[in-house]
Amino acid sequence: MDVYDPGTGSQLHDLNPSDYHPTGLFWTTEIPQSNVQVQVGNGYASVVATNLPIFDYGEFSNALFGGAPRTPGVISYRVVWSGVQQRVTIRNTDPVYGGFAGRFVRNSAQMEWTAVTDDYMFVSAPLATTKSEFAELGEERNGRFFP
Amino acid sequence: MIRKPFSENFGLCHNGHLHSWSDLMSRRQFARTATSIAAAGAAFGLGLPKAAASAPGDPVPIPGAEPLLGGIFHVFGPTPDNSFSPVDAEPATITNLNGFVGLAYIDGTVQRTNRRTGQTVMLPMIGADMRFMSGVYRGADERIREGAFAFV
Repeated sequence: MDVYDPGTGSQLHDLNPSDYHPTGLFWTTEIPQSNVQVQVGNGYASVVATNLPIFDYGEFSNALFGGAPRTPGVISYRVVWSGVQQRVTIRNTDPVYGGFAGRFVRNSAQMEWTAVTDDYMFVSAPLATTKSEFAELGEERNGRFFP
Repeated sequence: MIRKPFSENFGLCHNGHLHSWSDLMSRRQFARTATSIAAAGAAFGLGLPKAAASAPGDPVPIPGAEPLLGGIFHVFGPTPDNSFSPVDAEPATITNLNGFVGLAYIDGTVQRTNRRTGQTVMLPMIGADMRFMSGVYRGADERIREGAFAFV
């Protein structure tokens, strides 16, 4: 979650769940599977997370490399994907970016969230006020399950 | 990135309208900046951080790593204009997955309250990179499991 100063454009908050430098799993944490609802065919998905432990690293560079303090907190959110703008089938064997195959829907997504850290409380505007720059969801196989 | 590198900062126009950072700095420029950060981190040993030890059942990170972030972070940021990772790049962050994946870069606003002073301010949230992975995966211990993961 990235929050900025509207005047200077500087990043003020960088909230993510990694409690270490993210050279292993990148900002990825387990949630209950029942909190994820997906209907790929009609482009719908909903993900709910409640009180996930996070840290506020302040800036992106601190989130990657450290060097400045971070502040612990928790975040709760709901993200909803909806609509179908494009359907794509991908089989990507590129040695850098690939190694997976799947069927995807490109569409739009919205979210609402709250978070509390030692210093601040955050309450987002309602889900309906948000918009996505890019969104996709799908079914895929990678690693040992690919091809 | 990715939400971040994609994160497009806000600036104020003379007329006071917010507009996206893309008018001020392209994503590619941002990516170059991120690469510089990664390179500096590597050069000075700042970061080069060890990953936390994984538990036996933990999922395994994807093997690939975005070159624009120095090739050390196992994540890609697909963008429709290919300005960061190609649009068809891997959206998942875990490998050995057979399941559902979702990715979105979301803009909005958030009210921030200072818990000590009570001061509140509305701030832009830009390009929040939100993802999920749900399904069957092979963990670090090679066992097959079912589970769900969030990328925040």
